[in-house]
Amino acid sequence: MKRAASRLVYTLIVLFVSSVAVFYAIRLSGGDATAAALPGSATEEYREAFRDRLGLNEPIYQQYFTYMGRILSGDPGNSLTNNKALTSMLSEHGRNSLVLGGTAFGLVFLVGIPLGIVASLRRNSWADQGIMSMSTVAMAVPNFWLALLAVWLFASRLGWLPSAGCCSTKQLILPAVVLAFEGIALTVRMTRSSMIESQNSDYVRTLRAGGLSEWRITCKHVLRNALIPIISLAGLRIGQIVGYALIVETIFGWPGLGQVLVNAVLRRDYPVAQFFSLVLVTIVVMGNWVADTGYTIANPRLRKST
Amino acid sequence: MTGLENSRSSHAKAWDERVAAYEEEVRSNPWRKRLREFSRNKLLFTGSVLGILIVGLGLVGPLFLGSNYAGQSLRNTHLPPLTEGYFLGTDQYGRDLLVRLCIGIRVSLFVAAAVTSIALVVGMALGMCGGFLGGYVDRVVRSVTDFVWGFPLILVAVLLAGGLGQGLLPVILAVGIVNVAAITRVVRGEVVVLRTKEFVEAARACGVSNFRIMWRHLLPNVMAPALVLASYYVAVAIIAEAGLSFIGLGAQPPLPSLGKMVADGRGFLRLNHWESTVPGIGIAGLVLSVSLIGDGLRDVFDPQLRHEAKGVEKG
Repeated sequence: MKRAASRLVYTLIVLFVSSVAVFYAIRLSGGDATAAALPGSATEEYREAFRDRLGLNEPIYQQYFTYMGRILSGDPGNSLTNNKALTSMLSEHGRNSLVLGGTAFGLVFLVGIPLGIVASLRRNSWADQGIMSMSTVAMAVPNFWLALLAVWLFASRLGWLPSAGCCSTKQLILPAVVLAFEGIALTVRMTRSSMIESQNSDYVRTLRAGGLSEWRITCKHVLRNALIPIISLAGLRIGQIVGYALIVETIFGWPGLGQVLVNAVLRRDYPVAQFFSLVLVTIVVMGNWVADTGYTIANPRLRKST
Repeated sequence: MTGLENSRSSHAKAWDERVAAYEEEVRSNPWRKRLREFSRNKLLFTGSVLGILIVGLGLVGPLFLGSNYAGQSLRNTHLPPLTEGYFLGTDQYGRDLLVRLCIGIRVSLFVAAAVTSIALVVGMALGMCGGFLGGYVDRVVRSVTDFVWGFPLILVAVLLAGGLGQGLLPVILAVGIVNVAAITRVVRGEVVVLRTKEFVEAARACGVSNFRIMWRHLLPNVMAPALVLASYYVAVAIIAEAGLSFIGLGAQPPLPSLGKMVADGRGFLRLNHWESTVPGIGIAGLVLSVSLIGDGLRDVFDPQLRHEAKGVEKG
């Protein structure tokens, strides 16, 4: 309990520090914010008035507190390029990201765990070797290249699936699989090694000696113990998926949070960049916290030490 | 007593002679020993051959081909490979793909070298200070690395690109920062164990300064694991640079980067897929060779690191 509480405090500090870092990094960027919003012919007085209106002339720490206050009161401002409210952008693009990220997250475990189990039960067979070498390759291939190969094969050559767009089920398949690919490979490896570790442990030997069928041992005992670390560390996959979503959403033109953030950075639309960075950073930090808590619950030994 | 001593010294003598003969052989031909050890490790060997081919192409290629990577020729666009004058064909602006590939490899290597030097120097310094000095310093080092470690690399890079503008600098910094955290963690872990060893106590008892203990006694011991880990992160750096350039945040045109070239060729997959596949094969080859070298180094230096290194994530 003490550990969980101290981790929560730590997580809140991390959130605060990263919000300050994000704020400073983007607000102090070399570019002129007025360049994105105003036409090149705008006069210097007009630019000055624009900066005044956005509060860009106040001291930076004051800007930070004003900004965080506005976010917490639910009004983070508007985009500089199309003047959309950031909250409506968040709900619109957030939903898309949730669909894509959620599907990828599900795929990671629904595909990764069974494959890992098969590999561990048929250790050193052709199935095991095939699955393991596939996962090695999957971890070495950059996901944007994988995306391109998938588009080339399934969209250009075979014409089975659309190459980009949103938001039908058919359009979801390619980006979700690409996004999940490395996570699947990692989950397969973790599941396999965790299963093998449980299979070799003393209690399994005892159960075998007691005459339990191999099937029963695997289903009731090995599986349960082996899957604990994998499920409890699931939060870590969230961060990974958020990171890759930035690339995969851009490639497949999936209008999610990642694509919005990348476009905002490319166009120097700083309110959007700032707000969506904060959103993604918060998701990642919370994912790490969930993983940490899950791991503590699953490992009673950790509860004692801080 | 004397008999024992005699037999011992004769053994020792025989041993000395063998060592001397071996040293003589090595001295007369120092490459033979290295080559023998090197070629015995298949991973290291394959990875290095592949690496030398690609790096050689990047470094030597422009000497013969010229480095006119931005020269456009709108008459010769989308030429397939093996067209006269263009060994690998041309892209949408009629730029020579082979020249661009060479320069792109140079960019990848530059980013990887910059990132790895930052990560090694800063990571080892931080890790050794944290692990050896302990206390307050250690707590700061640990919380900073834990903080950085939790973030996906791509997100850090996009945030930095938001602050610094697009280009290679934010990519190098982002990958560098994340790699520093990785190396710091491993080095710190090693040093915490080494700190209690006798040779450190002995040095301390002799009045050797903290700095000198770290520099002369700890550094050689943490070098191997740090180098092995760094070789993994070279691959991570190359992939990250390519991915960020792919979405437009890395190298800016007309400077070619392998990732940017893949992105440029995307629209013409049906017309001339080589514009994307050539740089794609370049990235895959570089990453493969670096990973093989990393695996080989790990086997040579530290078999125990196998488990840990496999858990390294690219994101």
